[in-house]
Amino acid sequence: MDRTKILVVDDNPTIRKGLSVRLRANDYEVLFAEDAISATAALVTERPDLVILDLGLPAGDGFVVMERLHKNDRLANIPVIVLTGRELADNRDRALQAGAAAFFQKPVEDGPLLFAIRKALDVSRGELRFDD
Amino acid sequence: MTEPTPRRSELTAHLAHDFRNALSCIHQFGNILVDGLAGELSDEQREYVRIMLENASKIRKLLDSALEGTADSQENSTNKIERVSKLET
Repeated sequence: MDRTKILVVDDNPTIRKGLSVRLRANDYEVLFAEDAISATAALVTERPDLVILDLGLPAGDGFVVMERLHKNDRLANIPVIVLTGRELADNRDRALQAGAAAFFQKPVEDGPLLFAIRKALDVSRGELRFDD
Repeated sequence: MTEPTPRRSELTAHLAHDFRNALSCIHQFGNILVDGLAGELSDEQREYVRIMLENASKIRKLLDSALEGTADSQENSTNKIERVSKLET
């Protein structure tokens, strides 16, 4: 069986590296994008199972990526987990309304992030509902 | 005390974002070391990394408290302006 593919979108290379070590240790395949344009391209060409998305990105922010994703029928049900250094007050509700499955402010504990990933994947595969 | 201006608020948000990214890196790689994902650490090494992680958490709490203070200060500033406007009308 193919490994679950996660696209990590963050403009900070150290954050990308840290997430990749943690996700690979949990048996996920990890892909990267560092801006909104390469994220959109990777969504189309790689069709990941889940996206971990920063909001502050070059060439359009994370909200632009979510909008593009949800406008494309083929990609619209890929779950997005937002992981950002931005303020909660201005961004959490907006991200959840834009369709994010979960929102975390950096720095995040590994346990809750991995739990949210598993849950979002189960929901997207129809094995669980969000309110379960 | 000087009230925060929009320019200062923007700067504060920017600094907070950069602090959180830097703390996130310390946190991520500290936990990678503690969990042995980059090879096993001795008990002493693990203890030192834990001390680093605890202090990174303290910095995060300090940052959150400082930002709450800034938000309160901004809210008070807005309230003062509203009160002044009401008094003037």
